[in-house]
Amino acid sequence: MERTVTVEPEAGLHARPASKLVQTANRFDADVSIGRADAGDEGLVRADSMLSVSGLNVEHGESVRVVAEGPDDEAALDAVCDLLTSPVEESSDDDAEDAP
Amino acid sequence: MRTLDGVGSTPRSGVGTARWYRPDADLTLPDRPESESVDVDAELDRYESAREAVRSALREARDRTAERVGEEEAAVFEAHEGFLDDPTIIEDVEAAIREGTPAEHAVADRFDEAVAQFEEMEGRMAERADDLRDVRDRLLRALLDADDDGGRVATDLATLPEGTILLAERLTPSDTAALDPDAVAGIATVEGGRTSHAAIIARSLAIPAVVGVGEALESVADGETVLVDGEAGEVVVDPDEERREAVREAGPDAIRERVETSDGRPVEVAANVGGEAELGPAVERGADGIGLFRTEFLFVDRETPPTEDEQYEAVRAALSAFDGPDDRVVVRTLDVGGDKPVPYLDLPDEENPFLGRRGIRLSLDEHADLFETQLRALLRAAATDEGDGLAVMFPLVTRVEEVERAVARVEAVAADLASEGVDHAVPELGAMVETPAAAFLADALAERLDFLSVGTNDLAQYVMAADRGNDAVADYHDPLHPAVLRALDRTTAAVEGTDAWVGMCGEMAGDPALTELLVGLGFDELSMSAVTVPDVKARVREVDADAARSLASDALACETRAEVLDVLGLDDRAA
Repeated sequence: MERTVTVEPEAGLHARPASKLVQTANRFDADVSIGRADAGDEGLVRADSMLSVSGLNVEHGESVRVVAEGPDDEAALDAVCDLLTSPVEESSDDDAEDAP
Repeated sequence: MRTLDGVGSTPRSGVGTARWYRPDADLTLPDRPESESVDVDAELDRYESAREAVRSALREARDRTAERVGEEEAAVFEAHEGFLDDPTIIEDVEAAIREGTPAEHAVADRFDEAVAQFEEMEGRMAERADDLRDVRDRLLRALLDADDDGGRVATDLATLPEGTILLAERLTPSDTAALDPDAVAGIATVEGGRTSHAAIIARSLAIPAVVGVGEALESVADGETVLVDGEAGEVVVDPDEERREAVREAGPDAIRERVETSDGRPVEVAANVGGEAELGPAVERGADGIGLFRTEFLFVDRETPPTEDEQYEAVRAALSAFDGPDDRVVVRTLDVGGDKPVPYLDLPDEENPFLGRRGIRLSLDEHADLFETQLRALLRAAATDEGDGLAVMFPLVTRVEEVERAVARVEAVAADLASEGVDHAVPELGAMVETPAAAFLADALAERLDFLSVGTNDLAQYVMAADRGNDAVADYHDPLHPAVLRALDRTTAAVEGTDAWVGMCGEMAGDPALTELLVGLGFDELSMSAVTVPDVKARVREVDADAARSLASDALACETRAEVLDVLGLDDRAA
């Protein structure tokens, strides 16, 4: 099964959102792959690989296609798409650097 | 014994064993053996255990950085773990090992290939190349060095052995914040200035530091005994007995009582506090009170704003720590902007957040609701037994109307509490002077308020038009530029003769070399990182207020920073 969603996190699929995506994909037995919506099947890469996901260089606002196959594919798809469509939580930097 | 000169950053000294931190050092691989001679199973095991060691080191580094610096800075270690355990990399490396490649060569080949791919791309992708290099080097260190523990020794600043004198080209703020102050006896760097973030953090962790030593530092080898004197700005290699005995790791003893100049002018010496954990050290070091209680810690790293009761309890904790009859606790109302995102505040994405919606601007409009909750908590705390000493100040004031509106809000909240029958009192109210506008209007502000407190880091940034986070303009960002000194003078002169008092809560206040100047400029209160409170108290006692005034007027007559340094006798001081 598959779904096409728009990437919400400001940082696109870089840094933190990318590692969260990889961690999420790894939690399921299903094989999850991801690619640009307009790139066809050749554009799909393994969602459990940090190297592949970062290599896509997907930015905020781009459309991506997520494909999941396996026993828990629906749950995997839900979890991954949830992540891609929620703006990532940010936390503030520390106070030590922040003397007035 | 040989001595290298640099810029002292923390007025402490420490002695220990030199250890270079070279995050980008070359790792030389042994020659490739014939593939037949490689024990495939043993190499697969080595790769597996190296990954395990690096994984646990990365998690340690992640947790430590999250605790000391912030979740955002810690996230990079999660990305590193992603690369470490990337299934495509593992498959390729294991396949290469099965073909007879030793683990370190298989790792280096695969990561170098990935680095090359990312380097061809631009921007953020090039940063990923740095991440990959970092993971590769950690793995290689774990594979090449039998004693190594996941690259900890070489790259994990958080777990250095006790008595380390850390030597580096430069340190980033997150490097410095990851340090364990109990293990690191001192820091010396080739680059860096007094006001670099790294120097400021070293100071707040009370780690002796000398920065900007230059290439001469390269002559120091790992394992040599080194003394770092942050007061004199010296790095002493192989120090003699006399020099070692003069080490002052702890600085002067805390002075519990309030201090005055040699001719009897009282100066309040307080601590800046950014969380409840910092209250204990502030008391231990003999602070007279809190000159800046940052409330941001109550608001970050959570999904919803803190409740009125939570804020009330936090302020009460500060008031209980300083419950003497004259003790004062100055609480700054919420000071955030687009550079410090807080998820539920929904702050606008601005081109230049330092000149945008932040500080009191948000509290008066977009976040009037949060401001009201904060004021309710503060007015309730002011009515408690220890609440006499409470004072409240507003950040980033630039207009008189802002002060008038803020004071009106306080009065409205007091009326609400009265009608609800809730105990409350109106504390002393003040404004931060951290913009040129506030310095120019200091007389008008002082007329409407009980006190002013100067934040010199931001004031220098706005007066000199120099981003404090940008190293390329670090030499502009110094409060000893005459333009900044004259802004300070304008502020203190406006308060003189009124009922208001004037304090300072920036980094400048904690530098004992500047205490005489600040007393001379007329500051009634100086508030700083707790670590330097004893130094500044001791210095106040040595100062003669008349001599200080004449020193200040000489400094104010200067037209360049060099002249100011000359007047202050700080000629060799770098920015």
